[in-house]
Amino acid sequence: MWPFSSKTEEPKAPSRDDRQKCWEARDAYFSCLDTVGVVKAGEERSKGACTSENETYQKNCAQSWIEYFNQRRVIAEAQKDRLAQASTQAQNTTRR
Amino acid sequence: MFPVRRLLPLRNSFKLPPLRQSFRIGNRLPETQKRWNGSSSAEPPRPHRNVVGVFSPASAAIFVAVGTALYFYFRHEKKKSIEQREKERSSQAYGRPNIGGPFSLIKCTGSTTSEPVIFTENDLLGKWSLVYFGFTNCPDICPAELDKVTVVMNELKKSFPNIPIQPIFISVDPARDTPSQIHTYLQDFHPDYIGLVGDYQQTKSVCKAYRVYFSTPPDADPKGDYLVDHSIFVYLMDPQGKFVEAFGQSTDQHTAAEKIKELITEWISTA
Repeated sequence: MWPFSSKTEEPKAPSRDDRQKCWEARDAYFSCLDTVGVVKAGEERSKGACTSENETYQKNCAQSWIEYFNQRRVIAEAQKDRLAQASTQAQNTTRR
Repeated sequence: MFPVRRLLPLRNSFKLPPLRQSFRIGNRLPETQKRWNGSSSAEPPRPHRNVVGVFSPASAAIFVAVGTALYFYFRHEKKKSIEQREKERSSQAYGRPNIGGPFSLIKCTGSTTSEPVIFTENDLLGKWSLVYFGFTNCPDICPAELDKVTVVMNELKKSFPNIPIQPIFISVDPARDTPSQIHTYLQDFHPDYIGLVGDYQQTKSVCKAYRVYFSTPPDADPKGDYLVDHSIFVYLMDPQGKFVEAFGQSTDQHTAAEKIKELITEWISTA
């Protein structure tokens, strides 16, 4: 029955500060990936790049958030490519 | 005038010469009149009463005047009704969607010891409500939407200090979101925020009533680290608990605030 027994240690919802810390760590890590030209997180490991940024990122964000942000980065990148393609196509057709 | 001109060809087609005379208003056609009656006679013979019938100059004048007046009156009325319809269409596109309805959830208070407070659709009555569905472990979209509602709330309070408006957060993650956890979570946002949560069935039924999709499985692990996929809308409900408008992610806070102000003003003026 609801509510859950509050005797056991309750997991705390992330606060504004927690979120802010996570987002900052993510942004630092992603901008590092940008400099080494990596879109999909994890692929930079073979180059030995962004290790400290990744460490902070892993420490400040929940695993589910990390997966979500990493996935979204890939999707956003693909979208950027597609939008660029679409706009060049549109330019070509108007020129013709 | 327009209706008079319309009458003339009609008269001609009937070929009733005496009528022409009775329709002569003033002396606008002396030249043609002379030609018809021959140049010798100065005064045309008055048509016989029986031939003219009810068509005297006075009745013709009244007929034309009434016709003209009716024409303009109906044109005015038609224009008014079109304007009215346009106005209604712009504010209420295609009637009211069937969103909302009965629900029963627990109101999240800071206390874990006191009896749980039940919150139902009846608690929406007499107040405007801004309803949002989310979960506390939400990475970025929920907090952004809650911040948006906080700004909207502040703007609305400034414009309508005496109208009660309540922001409501309904959890779509009943396995992990406890009342006290939601209560703490909402401290980061507008102080008036009311957090609501239920068991899985209650959550499912409120989501169904509000046409909200959420992905939490019924057997979700309370200690698990997962995200919930869910619809992102802020619903505006009127003081009768009825749906008025939904705001998506793409509507920015100021646009939303302006639209809500408009809707509240309109609601008050028609109530």
